[in-house]
Amino acid sequence: MKTRSFVQFVGPSVVLMILLLAAPLLTTLFLSVRNCTLDMEVVTVEESTPFGKKETVTQRARLDASGRAIQTCRFVGFEYYRKVLGYDPDPSPPAVAQAPGADAAAGPGAPLNEFQGALRFTLLYTFVTLPFVLGIGLLLALGVNAVSVRLRSVFISASLFPFIITPVVAALSIKWLFRDNGLVPQLLSNFGVQVYWMGQAWSAQFLIIVYGIWHVVPFAFIVFYAGLQSVPQDALEAATIDGASRWQRLRYVTLPHLMPLLVFVTLIHVMDAYRVFEPVIVLTQGAFTTSVQYLTYYILLQENNPYKASAAAVLTLVGILILLIPLLVRTWREQRGGA
Amino acid sequence: MKPKSLLRRLLVSAAVAALVPATAQARCDTLSDVKASEINIVGNAFPALQHIAKEMQACTKGGLKVQFKMTPQVKQEVEQAFGSGGKSAFDAAVVSMGVFADLNSKGQLQPMTDLVNKYRTKYKIEDNMLVKVNGEVMAIAFMQNAQNLFYRKDLFDKHGLKVPTTYAEMLAVAKTLKEKEPGIEFPIAQTFAKGWDSATEFTNIFAGYGGRFFKAGSAAPDFNGDAGVKALETMKAMTAYMTPNFLASNSDDVMNQFQQGKAAMGVLWASRASRMDDAAASKVVGKMDFAAAPAALAGGKAATHLWWDGVVMPKNLGGDRETVFQVLMEALDEETMRGGNDLTIWIRSGYKPTRFGTGVTASAKAGAPIWPTEPYFGLAHGEIGKVIPDVLSGAATPKQALDAAAAAYAKAATEKGFIK
Repeated sequence: MKTRSFVQFVGPSVVLMILLLAAPLLTTLFLSVRNCTLDMEVVTVEESTPFGKKETVTQRARLDASGRAIQTCRFVGFEYYRKVLGYDPDPSPPAVAQAPGADAAAGPGAPLNEFQGALRFTLLYTFVTLPFVLGIGLLLALGVNAVSVRLRSVFISASLFPFIITPVVAALSIKWLFRDNGLVPQLLSNFGVQVYWMGQAWSAQFLIIVYGIWHVVPFAFIVFYAGLQSVPQDALEAATIDGASRWQRLRYVTLPHLMPLLVFVTLIHVMDAYRVFEPVIVLTQGAFTTSVQYLTYYILLQENNPYKASAAAVLTLVGILILLIPLLVRTWREQRGGA
Repeated sequence: MKPKSLLRRLLVSAAVAALVPATAQARCDTLSDVKASEINIVGNAFPALQHIAKEMQACTKGGLKVQFKMTPQVKQEVEQAFGSGGKSAFDAAVVSMGVFADLNSKGQLQPMTDLVNKYRTKYKIEDNMLVKVNGEVMAIAFMQNAQNLFYRKDLFDKHGLKVPTTYAEMLAVAKTLKEKEPGIEFPIAQTFAKGWDSATEFTNIFAGYGGRFFKAGSAAPDFNGDAGVKALETMKAMTAYMTPNFLASNSDDVMNQFQQGKAAMGVLWASRASRMDDAAASKVVGKMDFAAAPAALAGGKAATHLWWDGVVMPKNLGGDRETVFQVLMEALDEETMRGGNDLTIWIRSGYKPTRFGTGVTASAKAGAPIWPTEPYFGLAHGEIGKVIPDVLSGAATPKQALDAAAAAYAKAATEKGFIK
């Protein structure tokens, strides 16, 4: 292909990738090593509101000549990364008065650092959902492939349904099924089983994992189903003539043919699962189930700190890259081998 | 479809189409000296605001187009627009007092005193709608909200129970109801979900114990003392009478528990009160009543906070401030209030209180304070919301958790420049 044609084909997507992926990523990296503070001064103001008048001591930003808040920005290096990871060289600033040894031995021990807790659940979610997504997706694809053509469209539409629904809506439907007075607790109570699904770690985590499997299986299914359409029929027939059983045909002909798709679905699912967010915020609001992405959201919204949130976002990305290394290496080798 | 019914439908549609601009024109035709073609306003999404947004969008005089963006992320949208280096993407915003405090501390709001003076008579702007800082009008409030006590009057009457005025009484009533009322396994329902919800409950009860979040005259934390420990102990004691799902119970869940008749009392937002009588979703129509939020200490103030919602304009406003102001005031006039009287607790004197607002009025009478307005309060609230589940689930003691939150807050406030 001529260079000119190549550029014409590839150009638009490269421009879009630079604008929508590279530029935000670089901005996030830039923000994560900086910190900006407003120049605050303590003031006494008289406020009158619908509830009355009062004088309060508060802080106001100093303003410059044009009436804008004066802001000082500086390079802070990896300070926010260390803080997010829980490695903080200054764990107790002088501003906090703590009685010496107060309650040090009274509790059952300090809980995990937020990031460590979030990482633990995120990895649990990723690796528990993955085999189910691949396994159930493959079984569904094989099943639908085996039924008559007329029934296939019905099965395909029904199977795709969970994937089509917006994640927040899907998570809400699961929450409504399992919350107090929901369908599932009501049904179970008829058999004398009382489970409060968001009341303890195992069930809250179980719910989110079930949601993850239910929501992503259709994606795996449709990819595998498409792959099954291109399995070489002559190889399957030859295997049948050679006396291969149904299992052997699957094991030695179909699965090797689908292997690149298995790797593809794994890649996509690991990336998606590591960014799990909607079910966490909708189902449990983070109780027992803080995820890495949820942590970034919390820092951004509740702590209102875009710089620290950027560090958390970059760490999320690094996590995804680490998880993907084996798969990327494999794909790289295959592509090079193919060329 | 039959031709006759098609014709009828077309006629009805045409009539409606003709009517809408006519009404819109009538609503805003007194707008003077319109100097803008498009006005963008942002706000949250709740019934009263939907009603107001409709009024704003009806202002079409002189080809004017008013766009209202409804989003739950109003705080972030407003902070970005009002804080941007160029002109603000929004010409005005409808904000709650927490967001107002933040914007005002950064000097991002436009004073409206001159406009209020000019248009006070025309739009009947009342004095108690004005939010003034050092005498300058920085916002115009139109509604109030508060968390107050919801309780099942039928069950209280049946068992001869007194409406609790303190949390200790509430626990005693809960014990009685749990023993005597077989359908009520978990008598108390409150928003104890991790994060914003439970931190707000803490803020209410902590203030009830007389706690102060910060050391006097500074941003240094002071919520990890006795009042904080007592507030968390009260919350923990309540969980014995709440669904074990309490760590995921937000306002929707608590409303659902009341509507389904599974819980008998609890402190919840007044804006949810009218939903108790929504026959399509509620099994307790007419059975719920509302009172002041209980106090933390006997004889103390109601352990809740008063909130207002109002309109603000950015300092970096791009459009014509007078036109924007008139559109806002058209939408907040007496006619709007009368058309949506039951949607919220309006601040205008012409508002006719409904039974759903009685809890707020009672809480205000019982001395409920105003929600904290220090610009660093949000940081403390965020850190507290993270540690409360550790206490409620028994993973940490109240003191441990509050010390951890205070340390985390101090770091965050230092990073933001509030603690030097």
